[in-house]
Amino acid sequence: MIGAVPGIVLAVALLGGLAAYLRVQRDPPPAWYADGGVISPTVGLTRTEKPSGVLRWLTTVDHKDIGLLYILFGTAAGLWGATDAMMMRTELLVPETVVWNVETYNAVFTTHGLTMLFFFVTPVFTGIGNYMLPLLLDADDMAFPRINAVAFWLLPPSLVLVRGGLISDVLGAVLGVLPIGVGALLALEPVSMGWTMYTPLSTEMANPQIDVTLLGLHLSGIATTMAAINFIVTIVTERPDDLGWDELDIFSWNMLVTSGLILLAFPLLGSTVILLLLDRNFGTTFFAIEGGGPMLWQHLFWFFGHPEVYILVLPAFGLISLILPKFCGRRLFGFRFIVYSTIAIGVMSFGVWAHHMFATGMDPRLRASFMAVSLAIAIPSAIKEFNWIATMWNGSLELSAPMICIVGAMSTFVIGGITGVFLAAVPVDLVLHDTHYVVGHFHLIVVGIIPLAMIAASYYWFPLITGRMYNQRLARAQATLLIVGAFVTFVPLLVLGYMGMPRRYAAYPAEFVGLNQVASIGAFVIGVSVVLWLVNLVQSIRVGPIVEDADVWNLKETGQFTREWQWFEDRIEKRRAERPLPDDHTGAESEPSEEATDPEKPD
Amino acid sequence: MTRVRRGVVAVVVLLSVVLAATPSTVAASSVTDQLIRRLNRQLLYMAVPIAVLVEIILIYTLWRFRGNDEPRPTRENRQLEITWTVATALVLLFVGTASFHALAHPSVSTIDGESSDVPDDAVEVDVTAEQWEYAFEYPDAGVATNETLVLPENRSIYLSITAEDVVHSVHVPELGLKQDAIPGETNLLRTELTGTGEYRLYCAELCGVGHSGMLSTVEVVSEDEYEAWLEDQRAGEADNESATDATNESSGGDEP
Ligand code: HEM
Ligand SMILES: [Cu+2]
Ligand SMILES: [Cu+2]
Repeated sequence: MIGAVPGIVLAVALLGGLAAYLRVQRDPPPAWYADGGVISPTVGLTRTEKPSGVLRWLTTVDHKDIGLLYILFGTAAGLWGATDAMMMRTELLVPETVVWNVETYNAVFTTHGLTMLFFFVTPVFTGIGNYMLPLLLDADDMAFPRINAVAFWLLPPSLVLVRGGLISDVLGAVLGVLPIGVGALLALEPVSMGWTMYTPLSTEMANPQIDVTLLGLHLSGIATTMAAINFIVTIVTERPDDLGWDELDIFSWNMLVTSGLILLAFPLLGSTVILLLLDRNFGTTFFAIEGGGPMLWQHLFWFFGHPEVYILVLPAFGLISLILPKFCGRRLFGFRFIVYSTIAIGVMSFGVWAHHMFATGMDPRLRASFMAVSLAIAIPSAIKEFNWIATMWNGSLELSAPMICIVGAMSTFVIGGITGVFLAAVPVDLVLHDTHYVVGHFHLIVVGIIPLAMIAASYYWFPLITGRMYNQRLARAQATLLIVGAFVTFVPLLVLGYMGMPRRYAAYPAEFVGLNQVASIGAFVIGVSVVLWLVNLVQSIRVGPIVEDADVWNLKETGQFTREWQWFEDRIEKRRAERPLPDDHTGAESEPSEEATDPEKPD
Repeated sequence: MTRVRRGVVAVVVLLSVVLAATPSTVAASSVTDQLIRRLNRQLLYMAVPIAVLVEIILIYTLWRFRGNDEPRPTRENRQLEITWTVATALVLLFVGTASFHALAHPSVSTIDGESSDVPDDAVEVDVTAEQWEYAFEYPDAGVATNETLVLPENRSIYLSITAEDVVHSVHVPELGLKQDAIPGETNLLRTELTGTGEYRLYCAELCGVGHSGMLSTVEVVSEDEYEAWLEDQRAGEADNESATDATNESSGGDEP
């Protein structure tokens, strides 16, 4: 039975290789007019040194290419995780489990959590960092381009391993028509132990897919750690001499602290996961009741898990701090304090893990001290919010699409942050812990800040990356819709938590139905807005008006035309010098209302 | 100036509306519930105005400086930074102190079940969670059931909580009670109930397929009814040992 697996892998590899080879053979030498009549926006980049077609993307060690690969991969994983979310919110429209069954619900929130945390957020931020950091730092590339590529290419197999149950089921069903044994594939069920994988549940569940998932998590941890090391070394060593620490941009600072956290936290997750694997398969007793005990898992897991939440959110804070001033027409207020607060959060994040365990019956004195640190960590978070508002005050605000995202993120952060303080207060946490209040609280951050910061970045740098402009009106509508959706979805969950509805419930008592339906409608609004974002950008990559003036956001006027935009301008100049622009080609395929040289500005 | 004044009036009006809307005192059903509810209300009194204020400042800033023709360059202001850092710290210090007071109360802090003794006049129940139902044992009365947890009002209650298989969590939101049920460990949840009624008991820690069906009921009755109930149980148990298991429907034990 197992024998079937390597065969399949070989076949897939063979076919993939063949396709790649044929693609290389068939690819004509790239034309100047790559998109049929409209000049190619990327001409004059590094085209001449790279192979073309699929091979280019498989072999690339260029930080920009790898950045794009990361972003694409992370986005795809995010869409997959969002599909899980839509499935859950559909189930929760009704109190009984009628849409899917309990097994599916439990599997879906587990894979949703794992996919979103490990394969959506961190890869997308790594991608943005990969693309932008060398430009922001004026470096040629990342410090270790090859490690960079390896770190990326470990991720797709990790995702396949983690989400194996579903993939193997589909594969098994498809291959089932052939006369080969697929029993091994069908034995793998999607995992359903929750992303926290508490023992003894995770040791007792028979599903062999759990082992595969643990291996996948281990692999993804290796990949994430490699990328983090690369960031640290790049930021420390690849800066030109005249770029001192005091002039390092805020996004790089945040990536540096994030990478430090990854370096300290992820190896712990990797080892802990291996211990669990040993417990499951080799009869060790690290987490067994008669051995290390169930609490050991919780301590080890959350010692990784709490820094992990800051690993997720610090890059988003960095993007907000970087992009916000550009649309305020003035520099970031309190740069130094924002950097200090980032470092403070990084350090303190290792001292708060037990606030996830207040209900386990820890010694009250321990609880009190973890409460103190957890409250203290709210100070640097609040400082950020205040500094952002102070940056806006007395500025000249431009409500462009990226700015709407950022202000939206700032407004959800107020609620997301303050609800966190309630959870730090031990007695209140005792009633709210493991209820939908917690789900509401952390989604106000993981949906209300992280994707908004990513989307802000995508709207901000889209012209730079693709050389084209998107539909800004649609973008503004999309951003607004996402903010509204986030509030409508997750604020009702706070109330549900106060009413006592526990999390991870496939079925719930009928009195909770009203607020759950409101939340589900909000979730569908989020879904629609994500689709709008996707359609807008994909369509604009194809036929959006080409950007001719690198100063898309009028940054020169306020002296904020930073290095990456300078690089973009140089690129455009180079393109012009290489081949004078035939006027009649400009905007041939774009809508008449949108001038190629002057992207629509808000009124 | 008038604009500022109008803004202040708007803020004050909004604040009072919000405060009026925050949950008012409902008769607490246990000492624990009362303590936690009071703390939660104190925190809300601070949190809601702060949240509303910051949101209003944010929206006001957006509205006032949108397309502003005379932006002023950013000037650092250390004093302002220190002010809001200290202000935040003070608010959190208050949160910490208030929480600490509630936390220190025996009805709020669970303790290790093995190292502490139960006073003679207290009602002691051993609660054991097992996929996907609860067993309630009254060692002093010699009664065991897995239907509902019946408890008398106005007496100290000591619940010794543990689990057989995986981690569960005993969660009675209306009584303010939550304690994880951890295999191999016993934790003592202490409280005193102040109102009769029926309260839903949930399992609040993912424990497998039956998790969302792992519900039960806590029934708080008067002292007399409690004694009568114990009598009934003892009589019933003598008659028919296994009847309780067969008729058990509220615990979701019939999940596959
Ligand atoms: C697209 C919008 C999203 C919606 C509508 C959504 C909805 C949900 C729902 C309904 C649950 C399960 C609640 C329960 O029964 O316990 C959940 C759990 C979770 N979500 Fe999301 N989510 C969204 C996006 C995200 C994002 C972007 C992240 C991370 C960055 C995320 C991370 C998590 C995690 C970690 C869990 C906990 C999983 C577990 O309990 O094991 N979600 N989400
Ligand atoms: Cu349970
Ligand atoms: Cu459970």
